[in-house]
Amino acid sequence: MKILVCIKQVPDMESKFKVAASGTWYDTADLAWRMNEYDEYAVEQAVQLKEQVGDADLTVLCIGGEQVKETMKKALAMGCDRGVHIADDKSAEKEPYQIAGIIAEFARDKGFDLIFTGMQSQDRGSAQVGVLVAELLAIPSISTIVQFTFAGGRIETKRELEGGVKAIVRTSTPALVTCQLGLNTPRYPTLPNIMKAKKKELVSLPVTDLLKVEARQETAKLFFPEKKGGGLVLEGDVGPLADRLIQILKEKTGVLA
Amino acid sequence: MEFTREIYWNVGHGAATLVPMYLLVIAALAVLVYGFRQRIEVYRLGLPLNRTDNLGDRIVGMLKNVLLQKKVTQVLWPGLLHGLFFWGFFLLLIGTTLIVIQADFTDLLFDYRFLTGTFYKLFSVTLDLAGLVAILMLSGLLIRRYVLRPEGLVTKRDDAIMHGLMLTILCTGFLIEGARMAVTEMGTPLAPWSPVGMAVAGVLSAAGEGALLTVHKLTWWFHLLLVMAFICLIPFTKFRHILTTSANYLFTDRGPKGKLVKLDLENEESETFGATSLKEMTWKDIFDADACTICKRCQDRCPAYATGKPLSPMKVVNQLQEVAFTAPDSQLIELIGKDVLWSCTTCRACQEICPAAIEHVGKIVELRRSMVLMEGEFPGEEVMAAMEATEVNGNPLGIGYASRGDWAEGLGVKTVGEDADIDILYFVGCYASFDKRNIAVARSFIQLCQAAGVKVGILGKEEKCCGEPMRKMGNEYLFQTLAAEMVELINGSGVKKVVTTCPHCYNTLAKDYRDFGLEVEVEPYTVYLERLLSEGRLRVRSEDLVCTYHDSCYLGRHNDIYDAPRQLIRAAGGRITEMEKNREEAFCCSAGGGRIMAEEKIGERINIRRVQMASATGTAILVSNCPFCLTMFEDGVKGAGVEESLKPRDIAEILAERIQRA
Repeated sequence: MKILVCIKQVPDMESKFKVAASGTWYDTADLAWRMNEYDEYAVEQAVQLKEQVGDADLTVLCIGGEQVKETMKKALAMGCDRGVHIADDKSAEKEPYQIAGIIAEFARDKGFDLIFTGMQSQDRGSAQVGVLVAELLAIPSISTIVQFTFAGGRIETKRELEGGVKAIVRTSTPALVTCQLGLNTPRYPTLPNIMKAKKKELVSLPVTDLLKVEARQETAKLFFPEKKGGGLVLEGDVGPLADRLIQILKEKTGVLA
Repeated sequence: MEFTREIYWNVGHGAATLVPMYLLVIAALAVLVYGFRQRIEVYRLGLPLNRTDNLGDRIVGMLKNVLLQKKVTQVLWPGLLHGLFFWGFFLLLIGTTLIVIQADFTDLLFDYRFLTGTFYKLFSVTLDLAGLVAILMLSGLLIRRYVLRPEGLVTKRDDAIMHGLMLTILCTGFLIEGARMAVTEMGTPLAPWSPVGMAVAGVLSAAGEGALLTVHKLTWWFHLLLVMAFICLIPFTKFRHILTTSANYLFTDRGPKGKLVKLDLENEESETFGATSLKEMTWKDIFDADACTICKRCQDRCPAYATGKPLSPMKVVNQLQEVAFTAPDSQLIELIGKDVLWSCTTCRACQEICPAAIEHVGKIVELRRSMVLMEGEFPGEEVMAAMEATEVNGNPLGIGYASRGDWAEGLGVKTVGEDADIDILYFVGCYASFDKRNIAVARSFIQLCQAAGVKVGILGKEEKCCGEPMRKMGNEYLFQTLAAEMVELINGSGVKKVVTTCPHCYNTLAKDYRDFGLEVEVEPYTVYLERLLSEGRLRVRSEDLVCTYHDSCYLGRHNDIYDAPRQLIRAAGGRITEMEKNREEAFCCSAGGGRIMAEEKIGERINIRRVQMASATGTAILVSNCPFCLTMFEDGVKGAGVEESLKPRDIAEILAERIQRA
């Protein structure tokens, strides 16, 4: 069985973000980087599948500059067999269709039985790449899965719908799934696996060889939401406090009308 | 008359006595050697470890502990009973040896006798009283074990054998003496030099001489047989502690205290890290287990045990011993239990008090290493998250690394990158950098340094966690990554001295980092400020303050710093009402051993227990010296419902409020 898992390196969400000079993306100074959370679920599920079937080859793919290799090493330490780094210093400027195009171009002739991706990235959050890859490869895709089983060439997944409703969706391979929080608990790599990961194959391919599609959308502007009036804390004695509250309710709402 | 006695009186000094007696001695010694040869084979199952360096110092240390019973008497009453018993028995051993030397060597070969005259009188009275003391002390120990039954004291068959045999040997000794004196010594001026023997003889005198001779002879042989049985039993009962515990002082860890063994992670050959079975531990770990006397002193002081967690350091050590001698291939982690291993706060209370010099903490960390490095396991998901947060942002709190230096805003403190001309580098640590409560401590420390005219530099956003909680939790790989980075950074900064406000950082930088090439001097802020104060560079007003003081485990037991912090508090006008458990006996706050990253899910909360102890002093302020302690106490006063009456403070805050400007 051949499995592909696609991951993205994103800034840690605890970082302080600033809008870059370009005005269309964030400034990358002073950011700490890590694997996109949803992609961690994808890697974990892919590794579990590999452990289940035994005879499987698991490739991890990541697009970005040289620095994304650090994140790829974690995926290799978690249990991926080989890494494909698509070297692109300007990946952040590419829109989801282009990213999907690159991945699909790479995957087209490789015969992957299953492709795992995160349901979205924590930074751009378009949630398009996974399903677009599936479309471009003309294979079925199931998005936002929270449960995954594989048996006899078929997969059965549980999807999360709005309002706590869940759906069970089945399909046969080849297929693509995008992974959601709750699917699994990503493992902490063991030291022997960290050591082994250092020796695993990690090839770099220039993005120019794989980018065959044109952009279909562009980011016009990136900005922080305007600050609107925050909460108001009233303090003081209960009597005057109640009067002030009534006044505010009268002035700003219609509840007392 | 000549003051002496006939050795082998009534028993005979001919071949009929000597041949069977020495054959018995040889046989007993052979059993002793055989027993220990078997045990040594088991010790040798462990990995090699050099514990015979500086042999001279080691021997001196061993003699101090064996002959002076230094560690044993740290716990007063049972310690004194054991100590006095030991000294009594030891004198009897010396006395018997002197008799053997005279009777079977000097007298036999050269007709030379030294047990005569005044020396004999002193010899006689010393041995007589030594025997009495030994009997009294042994009776005391017997009453303690079988009547008073202190909680947690495990009593087994070995204890009955030991008490019974020792007591019978001592009593038969007096019976022999009494019988001999009744026939030969009563009424002579020599008799009062054996007061106990004289008393026994007085009772026996009623019997006729014939009967006394028979009783003497039979008891003599019985006494000899019992002593031989004692020698034979040493390797097979807890009597072995006479040799194993003594030897354990010889093989003791010569420090630095609390420094963990560096794992070789570079070695491409090694496939396992940490220990899962005894064979992956060192011979000393097995030997330690065989030196345990099951005295429960460690268990009595373990904060995890005291709050209903499954850990007892004594039980862990006993399990290792049992496994070593029954099933050495057993998987230790399953056997001991993961919750047991995760419960340890590495507070060192067990190790500090252990009269057998057993090293508990290293064993627990070694087993944790295997869980973390080989299985990727942690006590909870929150710990794994803290590890990942540290990998990404260099702190277990998961706060963006770039804001690490923000706490110092407005204080005029520069990073070493901005200005390398500094007196000290302040290694801030994660909590003082990011945690609001502890930022107040860091700012206080800076104010104190500035008031003393000390120019302080920091590493700013370049600083990362020292790795201590990760290392103690078993994540040696993450620790070594952080250590290598921090050592390179500090060495590269060219600073001459590093000061810390976190005792965990201090212990790590001052000890653990030496294995990674850190050379500069490192000092905890309490010691540093105390010097500034005594040199007159720092001046604080003395304002009345009634408080209690908590010794953090890593400043106290790990580094023996008890007085500097107290002097600082007193200089600030503090009057300290000590908690019952203070100094070496201080009760952990719960956050050591990486537990700061973990939720405490089993048993009572340790921090609440400690806050209750502080509250019981009736003081309004709980002063401490560690960011972990302060964090746990802020939480603990709420948990204990005493937040109105007890305020946790750090020493630096108390001092900073009292800065006296020139």
